[in-house]
Amino acid sequence: MTTTRPTGTGPGRLLVAIYGILALAATARGIYQVATKLSDAPLAYLLSLLAGVVYLVATIALATNRRSLAWAAVLVELVGVITVGTLSLVDVGEFPDETVWSGFGAGYGYIPLVLPFLGIWWLRRTGREESGSSSADSSPDEDAPTVG
Amino acid sequence: MIVPVALLVGVLCLALAGWAAWFVVADRAVVLRQLWGGAVIEAVLLVQAVIAAVMLVVGDHDVDAALFWGYVVTQLIVLPIAAAWAFAERTRWSSVVLLVAAVTVGFLEFRLWQIWENL
Repeated sequence: MTTTRPTGTGPGRLLVAIYGILALAATARGIYQVATKLSDAPLAYLLSLLAGVVYLVATIALATNRRSLAWAAVLVELVGVITVGTLSLVDVGEFPDETVWSGFGAGYGYIPLVLPFLGIWWLRRTGREESGSSSADSSPDEDAPTVG
Repeated sequence: MIVPVALLVGVLCLALAGWAAWFVVADRAVVLRQLWGGAVIEAVLLVQAVIAAVMLVVGDHDVDAALFWGYVVTQLIVLPIAAAWAFAERTRWSSVVLLVAAVTVGFLEFRLWQIWENL
């Protein structure tokens, strides 16, 4: 029996929280852009909405410990932020600085660029502690009672 | 929107963030009293939304309505989610989440003001 640490507990909550906020920001922004000015830059605004949906998926996957879905979402983000970030630098006309991924997420404090790496690190870390026996477990907070 | 209420929201968010940060350092989970603090912020945000709605209906202030109300709704959602997590995660990480949430609400207030002033 293999047991992996749930992705949505402990430090994972911070990751889920940041993902959640970004999901909220990107989705709200994407809906607003698509609803009010889609014709201005259809590609950029649809990408904006897509980014929001991917963050939403990542948030839910991490929170509910759906590991493979989380992996997929996080990797899509990584590819997305690097691709769109590069394209936004090269071809300014097509990509106004108005998606979360433009300029490698500069408009959001580069959090969109850092987050996929944090996500990968966290998924790897939580995935490592396999096969039942916790004897080799070195993290002290695992069994320690939390006193409030 | 009016300046005193916006400043009040900013101060309250900073206070809650500071309170949560102290709990992070002290390795403590969120306590109920902090959630009441969050509830106070939510109440002020609702008052602010009503004031803004009245000013938009009665006065001649012009604002990008979809953008503005999108931010209003987003800002209202953040703290309740953090509060729900505080019940689920009884470790210091709930305090970290509350800290992030309080800072986010404060930042959204800043953005909201920019949108209101059409900056």
